[in-house]
Amino acid sequence: MNQEGILRHAATRFLGLIPTLLVLITIAFFLIRVAPGGPFDSEKVLPPEIRTNLDAKYHLDEPLLMQYFRYLGQIVSGDFGPSFQYKDWSVNELIRRGFPVSGTIGGLAMLLAFVIGTLTGIAAALRQNTMLDYGVMGVAMLGISIPTFVVAPLLILGVGVYAGWLPAGGWDWSWQRMVLPVVTLALPVIAYIARLTRGSMIEVLHSNYIRTARAKGLPEYLVIWRHAFKPAILPVISYMGPATAALITGSVVIERIYSIPGLGSYFVQGALNRDYTLVMGVVVFYGVVITVLNFIVDLLYAWLNPRIRYDELQ
Amino acid sequence: MLPQFAKLLCFAAMLASLAAAPLTAATLHRGLGPEPDSLHIHQAQGLAAVNLLRDIREGLVTFDVSGEPVPGQAESWQVLDNGKRYRFTLRADARWSNGDPVTADDFVRAWQRAVTPATAATTAGLLKDVRHAEEILGGRAEPGALGIRAVGPGIVEVELEQAAPWILEILAHPVSFPLHSEGTDDPRIAPVNGPFLLQEWTPRASIHLVRNEQYYGAATVGMDAVDYHPIEEPATELALYRAGELHITETIPAGRFAWLRENLPNELRVNPYLGSFWLGLNFNHPLLGQSPELRRALALAINREILVETVLGAGELVGWGVVPPGIAGYQPATLPEDSMSQEAREAEARRLYRQSGAGEPDPLLLELRYNTSGVHRRVAVAVASMWKQVLGVNTELVNEEWKVFVNNRRLGIVTQVFRGGWIADYADPSSFLDLFSSGSNLNNTFYRNARFDGLLDSAKASAGAARMELLREAEAQLLQDMPVIPLYYYVSRHLVNPAVTGYEDNVRDVHLSRYLELELGEP
Repeated sequence: MNQEGILRHAATRFLGLIPTLLVLITIAFFLIRVAPGGPFDSEKVLPPEIRTNLDAKYHLDEPLLMQYFRYLGQIVSGDFGPSFQYKDWSVNELIRRGFPVSGTIGGLAMLLAFVIGTLTGIAAALRQNTMLDYGVMGVAMLGISIPTFVVAPLLILGVGVYAGWLPAGGWDWSWQRMVLPVVTLALPVIAYIARLTRGSMIEVLHSNYIRTARAKGLPEYLVIWRHAFKPAILPVISYMGPATAALITGSVVIERIYSIPGLGSYFVQGALNRDYTLVMGVVVFYGVVITVLNFIVDLLYAWLNPRIRYDELQ
Repeated sequence: MLPQFAKLLCFAAMLASLAAAPLTAATLHRGLGPEPDSLHIHQAQGLAAVNLLRDIREGLVTFDVSGEPVPGQAESWQVLDNGKRYRFTLRADARWSNGDPVTADDFVRAWQRAVTPATAATTAGLLKDVRHAEEILGGRAEPGALGIRAVGPGIVEVELEQAAPWILEILAHPVSFPLHSEGTDDPRIAPVNGPFLLQEWTPRASIHLVRNEQYYGAATVGMDAVDYHPIEEPATELALYRAGELHITETIPAGRFAWLRENLPNELRVNPYLGSFWLGLNFNHPLLGQSPELRRALALAINREILVETVLGAGELVGWGVVPPGIAGYQPATLPEDSMSQEAREAEARRLYRQSGAGEPDPLLLELRYNTSGVHRRVAVAVASMWKQVLGVNTELVNEEWKVFVNNRRLGIVTQVFRGGWIADYADPSSFLDLFSSGSNLNNTFYRNARFDGLLDSAKASAGAARMELLREAEAQLLQDMPVIPLYYYVSRHLVNPAVTGYEDNVRDVHLSRYLELELGEP
């Protein structure tokens, strides 16, 4: 694809993000308001005057439609507003502090998963229907089917409490505290990527051009690396877009069990507390991350798969 | 081959060096439960925030090591006009963290700000007994009219609407703390007056406090630094405690009580707490509201021993009353059935149920509503099966998300039997009994009894032992009418490292960090 083609492709895809986000914001905004109860409902009843002032402070006394347009205006200027639950922080501050944590753990987990997943997947594909293949795929099945909320406490108990090799939880940016959450988060993804890679690798290895490559006497490692690898990881790449978005925006299970101050808990806590601004903030943020990552995946796809390139240019 | 082996060795050594990163003796590590909602004194509401604020700020009154109110920023006080007026003399050495003296004006300013409606202080209701507070909160009077004034730079006078013996405890709550003349109530920028300074706050990770050298009692503060760790998941808190990363936990995980009692008996601290758990009965419901026999039968059919020991299993105490034990000077009211055997209670329950006629001609179908939570569900299932077994009552269990549940409970339209309970704002029976007065907006049972209201009113006009006796009579009346079925009393549950000194169990469950110390030489 020539320079202009890539740019045009990128620009149209990028403009497409705006209506997507607008729809997302609109649906999320009204959906959270439909839920019964509000941010200031609790066991104790607030004096009416206080309640009125609280509502006024957060503009909850305005008609919903006006609040919606006010919110849109705020977002355009990059302001997610104050959090209802964590009153001393703005949603921007919470995301600014939470995302680096989730992003680091999620990014490392994805990196680990990609490297180990593709390597084991390729190994299994090359030794198809041998003990190695069955072993790897068996372990992968386990990895997919054992939920993280089972793996995490086992790791904490074994590695953290009994052996005392690594901290049992908490967060201070030391690598020691990252190991267990990263591994826990990566395990099911490793398994999934390994299965995807194996499947598509087997398919690719049976195709004509691989036979041609082998026939012309290329060493096997070159056949794999130069001809088979790129097409074989295509399905992995398309899986990785949304998967990475999910990983780097935080997992509520991991954050709770390891006591990590990431973004994931804000989705759940925010919704339960009717913390409208916080929920909206993380939803919009997640929306941006996932659309951007999908965009990157599209570009990667075009680079990896010539067929897509030519189709789009025509 | 060799370098690889060396690498492996290095890695192993690195892992070994991590082994249970030892706690530094100068810092105390405490679990905090959830992330505090706010560290602004007029916004803080949750227990985590209130506890933390008591370490970085101080009111006229504070708590001693056993949780009893003692002089704080005030060195002494006089009680005047039969308890309607208090005159506090501030300590001469009470200072803000920037070195300025704490003055009477700092209290007047802060209190007026607390009751100003525009401040929207969620806990301002605690100051309701201060003269004109309710009018100001309702927008019917100016904040200047509040019953607090500076008689001199070091003398604060507080005037109450009526005698309120619990007011001293309110004066140890953040809502009544002073504010420095310059600055807001943001502890990250404004001066504070407590034993510790807020040095670093990473939301949901840690809150780091260091000793405030300007604090009048700084010499007696044992710790140089205190790290609070907000940990939402009790199982994680336990793991961190066992790995030696916490000295004191906020709670223990549900269902681990027996294991902890067995394995860490010297570190487990379970103590009565100012909280009761009950099932509320909606008096607007035709059967429940009109049949005292039915209410009594439902109450007696529940085997509380099984509930507490098997279903809950976290050290809770069997409860037959509304006011929990442990309040100084108060003897909780009891029912004659308290001392019966469970068989006798169940026989009585069946008799009352027949008498009520609720099971005729078809067995009664009741709805039991609770907010979504593992513990509440287990209790609800157990109660439903006991009602079925003993009385033949069928129960439909309904669980709702918290926000939906509190609204339904308050409206009282769809509710029949519902999960209820109360944790006291201050250690006084009235904190529980006032809930059930006809005028209370927290009376989710819609119970109304003129004699009960009258007894509460008479108690307000009296003092000392006579007052406690009137409150006891009121509780007896309440238990007689049974708008709620008491099930159990809450307990505080902590794990405390044996190296920690200055930690005493108390019914208020306050453990100010200024009294705590770590003995050197880890166990």
